[in-house]
Amino acid sequence: MTSPRARALVERPAGRLSAALVVALVVGATAFGWPLFLRPASGMPSQLAPTVFAVALVLVLAVVLAELSGGRMDSRTLAMLGVLAAVGTVLRPLSAGTAGLELIFFVIILAGRALGPSFGFALGTITMLTSALITSGVGPWLPYQMLCAGFVGLFAGVLPRASGRSEIVLVAAYGVVSAFAYGWLMDFSFWPFALGDGTQLSFDPTAAPLANLHRFVLYNLATSMGWNLGRAVANAVLIALLGPRLLAMFRRSARTVDLAAPGSRAIAAPVE
Amino acid sequence: MITFDRVSITYPDARRPVLDDVSFEIAEGDLCLVIGATGSGKSTLLGAINGLVPHFTGGRLAGRVLVDGRDTARFRPRDLAEVVGYVGQDPVRGFVTDVVSDEIAYGMEQLGIAPAAMRKRVEETLDLMGIADLRSRPLGELSGGQQQRVAIAAVLAARPEVLVLDEPTSALDPTAAQDVLSAITMLVHEVGLTVVLAEHRLERVMHAADTIAWVRPDGRVDLGRPADVLARSSITPPLAALAHELGWPQVPLSVREARRRVLAEDIRPPLLAEPAPTHTEPVLVASGVEVRYGDVDAVAGVDVQLRPGEVTTLLGRNGCGKSSLLWALQGALTHAGDVVVDGLDPARLPALRARRLVTLVPQTAADLLYAPSVGEECSAADAESGAEPGTTASLLHRLGIHVEPSRDPRDLSEGQRLALVLAIQLSARPPVLLLDEPTRGLDYAAKADLTRIVGELAASGVAVLISTHDVEFAAGVGTRTLLMADGELIAEGTTIDLLTSSIAYAPQLAKVFAPSPVLTASDIAGSVREPIAEVAP
Amino acid sequence: MVVPERTEALKTLHPLAWWCWAIGLGLAVNGTTNPLLLILVALAMVTVVVLRRSDAPWARSVRAYLVLAVFVIGMRVLFQVAIGARTGTTVLFSLPEVPLPAWAAGIRLGGPVTAEALASTAYDALRLAVMLLCIGAANALASPRQALRSVPAALYEASVAVVVALSVAPQLIESGQRIHRARRLRGDSGRGLRSLGRIALAVLADAIDRSMSLAAGMEARGFGRTRGLNVRGTLPLMIASVLTTTFGGFLMLSTDARWPAMGLMVAGVTGTAIGLRRAGARLAVTHYRPRPWTWRETAVAACGVLAMVVVLGVGGLDPDHLGAAAAAFFDPLALRPSTDPLDWPQLNGWMLSVVLLVLAPVPLTAVRRERVPDASRTDTAVRSPRPRTHPVGVAR
Repeated sequence: MTSPRARALVERPAGRLSAALVVALVVGATAFGWPLFLRPASGMPSQLAPTVFAVALVLVLAVVLAELSGGRMDSRTLAMLGVLAAVGTVLRPLSAGTAGLELIFFVIILAGRALGPSFGFALGTITMLTSALITSGVGPWLPYQMLCAGFVGLFAGVLPRASGRSEIVLVAAYGVVSAFAYGWLMDFSFWPFALGDGTQLSFDPTAAPLANLHRFVLYNLATSMGWNLGRAVANAVLIALLGPRLLAMFRRSARTVDLAAPGSRAIAAPVE
Repeated sequence: MITFDRVSITYPDARRPVLDDVSFEIAEGDLCLVIGATGSGKSTLLGAINGLVPHFTGGRLAGRVLVDGRDTARFRPRDLAEVVGYVGQDPVRGFVTDVVSDEIAYGMEQLGIAPAAMRKRVEETLDLMGIADLRSRPLGELSGGQQQRVAIAAVLAARPEVLVLDEPTSALDPTAAQDVLSAITMLVHEVGLTVVLAEHRLERVMHAADTIAWVRPDGRVDLGRPADVLARSSITPPLAALAHELGWPQVPLSVREARRRVLAEDIRPPLLAEPAPTHTEPVLVASGVEVRYGDVDAVAGVDVQLRPGEVTTLLGRNGCGKSSLLWALQGALTHAGDVVVDGLDPARLPALRARRLVTLVPQTAADLLYAPSVGEECSAADAESGAEPGTTASLLHRLGIHVEPSRDPRDLSEGQRLALVLAIQLSARPPVLLLDEPTRGLDYAAKADLTRIVGELAASGVAVLISTHDVEFAAGVGTRTLLMADGELIAEGTTIDLLTSSIAYAPQLAKVFAPSPVLTASDIAGSVREPIAEVAP
Repeated sequence: MVVPERTEALKTLHPLAWWCWAIGLGLAVNGTTNPLLLILVALAMVTVVVLRRSDAPWARSVRAYLVLAVFVIGMRVLFQVAIGARTGTTVLFSLPEVPLPAWAAGIRLGGPVTAEALASTAYDALRLAVMLLCIGAANALASPRQALRSVPAALYEASVAVVVALSVAPQLIESGQRIHRARRLRGDSGRGLRSLGRIALAVLADAIDRSMSLAAGMEARGFGRTRGLNVRGTLPLMIASVLTTTFGGFLMLSTDARWPAMGLMVAGVTGTAIGLRRAGARLAVTHYRPRPWTWRETAVAACGVLAMVVVLGVGGLDPDHLGAAAAAFFDPLALRPSTDPLDWPQLNGWMLSVVLLVLAPVPLTAVRRERVPDASRTDTAVRSPRPRTHPVGVAR
């Protein structure tokens, strides 16, 4: 009588999960892109928009995480998630020291690529949360960071098939693109936060969307281009250098597990 | 209680089954000791009791495993949590929380037990294992023995009927190991649990076992009374070696039993010749070595001299500063005091040159391996040591390890990994070799191999210093012994003198033949049995 | 068997109570730009934090938030000086003006710096800084570990992942240090990109192995045991609630219909909470020593809510509709002191009540002394003669 095989860690998102993710995309688009289509005739000052939408984002994150993990993740996936989030947590304070190069994204991207989009989303979210707890980075920006990092992991998992060299090139290119996208989205939603509304580059509720966009681009060029470039370079370099080994390690761990001494997988090899 | 019915287990990528047509039964309330060579399938056997094999690890299981009537094919490990408590090899890696009481409560939380009942059980379990005052301590601050007891308490809280432990004392020094083993025997005798225990260092636990299961290299399991199984198994603890040497059909299980038999048969071991004192110049002279971590004195003023061709063992409790001393001698740890090797101070040299003077094989040998294949490791080592390409690979062959160069070092067994790291470090042909706790996870055969290798190295003129708390190994491998406690060197002398005159550090055979100085089984070859007329000079 | 009683210090309140207090204060602070009131509130919050923070290492983080608050103010002022819109009449000083070309939206760098503009920016930045400080205070006062335990059951697995990450992170650091030290044994100086890469790979391989051992341990102890059937209908409910909240937020920001918008948001939050609760029925995990919600928690949370109600309520009053005495007492305009023309900000009497509400948790959570049990050695196991201190990096 044979027994069931253990499930692999790689999962494909279930149908109901996609509904939650679609909602997350919609809400995320609203929350990140509000300067483009918010026309406040009156109402609360636009500076408070990030905090207001942060409430909706917290709910979205709770819903998506509940759907991803609630009753569905088994112990191996969860342990892998926790340990990789620990890696990210350890890397984040290091990033501050190395001239603002963000070191956490390459782990999220590679894990999303090897272990699937839902794992990538969960890893991005949880890494941001845990590292914020450790480095006192909890603030109204945290839900935005969590969702953004989650999407970085998610889309890394839906990249087209490739293998060998072309895979590394593909993932590294995605690393560059996602670095800029992350920077732009975060800046866009927190643009009024940073500038207020008394400067020439601030968000102007009365102006047309294109004019606002123009202002934002200038603001971004002046301030965050350096960070974005640094992040993109860090991603590309780390993925190119460490990518092949890491992808192999992730994929191997998804297959079999050995109970013998930590690190030793001598399953059927006696001492020679 | 536990029944294996024609069980065969094959892992997904393996050619042969790990366990082949195994059938046995463990009665309720027994303490069953599982022995076998490294990589022979002990962990697989233990995992099968729990259902981790095959539900968690993958693989095919043919046959049936019944625990208290439940078939593990139908019950996943989580469903058996209140029947079987499983403690893996490294308890620290199994900790989910970071406070002792939370860790003990974790299992009960998963089972949905009410908070009031949980509170009561946590306190009871703390008292049972004797760790009540550790209740709110962080797990990272505990010593190895305390962590092991917390791990056992954590699975006991679910009130299982069977306790499965995979090498619980491998990382512990003798005192801590004794604590853990007495706790385990208390659980068997006072609480009535069935305990299945895998161990390499059998000498401490043999006498308490009711049955021994020997996992043979061909995948079969031989289960029977300890004295019988040990007599025919290839696993030879010191007392079994004694029995083989003296031709006894049954192996004595404790020092007392062996001693009584020896006295009854009036066996007198031959007098051992004193090792010739060496008059060569010491190659490493260390004086006044001090290592401080913050305000803790790890090593407080130690003087060491190592002579070429001499094997010195360094004994002491865990945490007494042995590791710090070794790292300081290599020069990798900042220290006060002088260390001179061949006229140079390794701490002041760049790493590559220091390595060719003094090499250290650390406790976790795997820390030194980073390449994806054995072949790449060897070529990298050749480059680092400035040796001819192929030196490391040939060293590996001479050590008796023949693996394909394409194998991943992480796939090797403990003994093979240690040999690989040894080959890598020896490729630099250093005059001084330091080994830090090399025997963790090694079975007796591997330890005998290591003893042979160290002997060959010493014969070729290398000075070797081995830090260990395995007295049996120390008895067989070294000629000089240093004893450390609390950061200081408290005794120094020949191995025979030191080990036979100490209570805590005497090997089993020394205790059997006391007061005659005997260290290992080979020392009693040629013993005299009949009483002789005149007294030998 | 006598179980030694320990009286826990009441410093640790249910984390949700602290967060309610902090969020209420944050919303209250949003309704005013009066610098005097803001500074008083900030000082009061820092006092509460210093007196009542938990002992966890991240409780020291309030200093990081203070630094962040100062940084935000500084950055805003800097931007105002460089590219501010030129409003106001009182010129403080003038920077050389550099007009940028048309593709740069015709921005003029430099130019005269007016007191009105500076004051307006400073007030605004101060409000933002105090809001950040509210969150920092909540972070320092509410132990995240306890908060993780109080998470709704639907998010239990996610909270397990966070707990595992927090516990494993220090072990990974130690492992990294050990491997870094071992590099020297192989003749590698340990610096340089190559060796860093090797260290990273070794630590990651170690992390992956560790996760498997951890998973085996969790599985063997019953993780996932109590999973029941999926509860139907929770996902549509939660999706609808989330969309409602977003829409409510949208309305609140773009139209004047404040109360309907707030109502929509509250409805959305409640719907999500109900959905999460029902989804949590899937997993019947219990909690060891759950933190109870007593009257103290309610009182502390109420302080925050009350502060918010007071400030927003008074701020919403229209002075034309009040009597002369009421208008003089409340003076809603004092909440938003004008910067054009520049006026000294006023501090009214009732504003002090807000500050008192901020300080209220201090007496409410008075610390009780711990009763330490005298005889704790109830066991007879062999004990080592001295406690072991294991320095980092040295293997045992």
